[in-house]
Amino acid sequence: MIEHIVRLIRKPGANIDENTPLVSSGLIDSMALVDLLLKLEDLTLRRIPAGKVQPKDMNTVALMFATAQRVGKARK
Amino acid sequence: MNRFRNLIDALAAAPGDRPFVTAWIDEDEQETVTFAEFRRRARSQAKMLSEYEVNTGDRVIILMPQQIAAMTTFVGAMMLGAVPAFLAYPNFKVEASKYRAGLAGVTANLKAKMVVIDDAFPEDMLGHVHLCEEAKLIRAGDSKSVGAEVELHDLEVRPESLAFIQHSAGTTGLQKGVALTHAAVLNQLEHLAHALKIDGEKDSVYSWLPLYHDMGLIACFILPMVCHMRVVMQSPLDWVMHPETMLQIISEYKCTLAWLPNFAFQFVPRRTPPNRWAQYDLSSARALINCSEPVRSSSMQEFENAFSAIGLKSGTLHSSYAMAENVFAVTQSDINAPSGPNRVWADGQRFRSMHVIAPVAQGTPGAVCFTSSGRLLPNNEARIASDSGILLAPGFVGEILVKSDSLFTDYYNRPDLTAKAIVEGWYSTGDLGFTLEDQLYVIGRKKDLLIVGGENIYPQDIEEIVASHPAIHDGRAVAMGVYNSDLGTEDIVVVAEVEREELLTNTVDIEREIRNLVVGGIGVAVRTIFLKPPKWVVKSTAGKAARSGTREKLLKEHPELDVRGSGD
Repeated sequence: MIEHIVRLIRKPGANIDENTPLVSSGLIDSMALVDLLLKLEDLTLRRIPAGKVQPKDMNTVALMFATAQRVGKARK
Repeated sequence: MNRFRNLIDALAAAPGDRPFVTAWIDEDEQETVTFAEFRRRARSQAKMLSEYEVNTGDRVIILMPQQIAAMTTFVGAMMLGAVPAFLAYPNFKVEASKYRAGLAGVTANLKAKMVVIDDAFPEDMLGHVHLCEEAKLIRAGDSKSVGAEVELHDLEVRPESLAFIQHSAGTTGLQKGVALTHAAVLNQLEHLAHALKIDGEKDSVYSWLPLYHDMGLIACFILPMVCHMRVVMQSPLDWVMHPETMLQIISEYKCTLAWLPNFAFQFVPRRTPPNRWAQYDLSSARALINCSEPVRSSSMQEFENAFSAIGLKSGTLHSSYAMAENVFAVTQSDINAPSGPNRVWADGQRFRSMHVIAPVAQGTPGAVCFTSSGRLLPNNEARIASDSGILLAPGFVGEILVKSDSLFTDYYNRPDLTAKAIVEGWYSTGDLGFTLEDQLYVIGRKKDLLIVGGENIYPQDIEEIVASHPAIHDGRAVAMGVYNSDLGTEDIVVVAEVEREELLTNTVDIEREIRNLVVGGIGVAVRTIFLKPPKWVVKSTAGKAARSGTREKLLKEHPELDVRGSGD
């Protein structure tokens, strides 16, 4: 996921860990979040109801995975 | 359709055992309520609101996710004679500061008695919900009477009373609250139901459209409520993430009607892998209606080509010209036409230089194709006016003015905006278009128009040509006007994303080819082309290029540009 985000923000070598704020720090724009949510579905093999996800749920990689566990459902 | 005094009477007359709303969450989770159950829940919400002393005329803002509870709260408010308004619910993509500012602006203007939110509403977004002195903020489940059968006093809601406020399309916070009476809404729905030959028992609507916009609110909620017709809805965000679900839901529930913006006609076939198309069946659909300005023939064709093999019948794709200020539709294409909306090809040069439509044969070099938005609904009139206010004959392009028996009363609390928008009963839409043989053709927003050397150029025409170049990512091109002070006119600047980053090593050839395409297509020269890496162009919620956001970003990177022009 971190590699995907580094590619997404187009800053090779950017220092991002699982607790780096992404949205609140302006590193990624809100429109890229749909991409991230789809990637998160692929990585976790879960279906994530987008309507149950809040901005703060996507602010760090750690929060994203926690959100996938909390609101996501195992894919058939 | 029966004639009702108000929207609540229309709901009361619906057969209780008929399914009304199905909220589709995913394959495993759906909830359906019948009309009787919907009425029961709405009465329960009305009771809750009355416990907080909501009365006739009070504004009630509803900030809830796109689920049945939001709809029953809306109707519950109307049952008390109060005036509800849906506002956008915060989602994971919103920028918190913008959302808060937008909400503050809209709620302050409405001077609401009550703001109803759901239990999951994010605390950090609440700080800027403006509450006037008497206003209360409540959670939707805060009623003592939820779940109980509730009797309400019989309240006389007069046809000329305000039914609700719907917000015009636009950036959150800058939206205008369009105040609509029960009579205006019922007039509109009567005309629309007649034009679409709606049969409440047989028809059903599919929708992913947000309830805070006219397509979602009127066509996909209030119309089904008044026509006693089923609607199967999902959240807009779930659809954007998985556009294929539209095919899935129409197939499963055999939906017959849907309203869609133009981009959806491309988005669904492009985002659904072709090897899965055969799983679906669109044969139940009898009208999928494109409500955008303008309606693009190429988008409709793409959808039809993709899905005719899975039951989509010729003549199913339709068009309509709609706006919040007229409750909804002004026009509707002929539902019986075997091949969908009319099209006309016109001389491109005369269109751009003289704003005149001179029809030519299909395939004529340099011809421009326009798709009709249909005929005017009964009791709707349209005029085409020049910049100086002179009324224009059919075939001449100008601003569309509308008058009807469903026109809005005013922009709530904004007499200044109302006075500008409605003059002698005619509403200035800000859209450019023309009439031809009783059909209305909508070309685009007046403010988007680029005037280059006296020629009228529409950015979307250039963008379509640029995106057709194989090196450019489809749908990721934006054209804009840059004022050239030496020449005293606008120059055209294009910014476009390449498909793959390595293509940026050879921009000279790509730029030359794009220039040639634009000159060949519409006969104007592009001054500057900015080729950008993938994901550079700012996208809207639904993934299409956002003109105003992209312009701002380009300005930031290239401050030497004095970019003027249009928003989305």
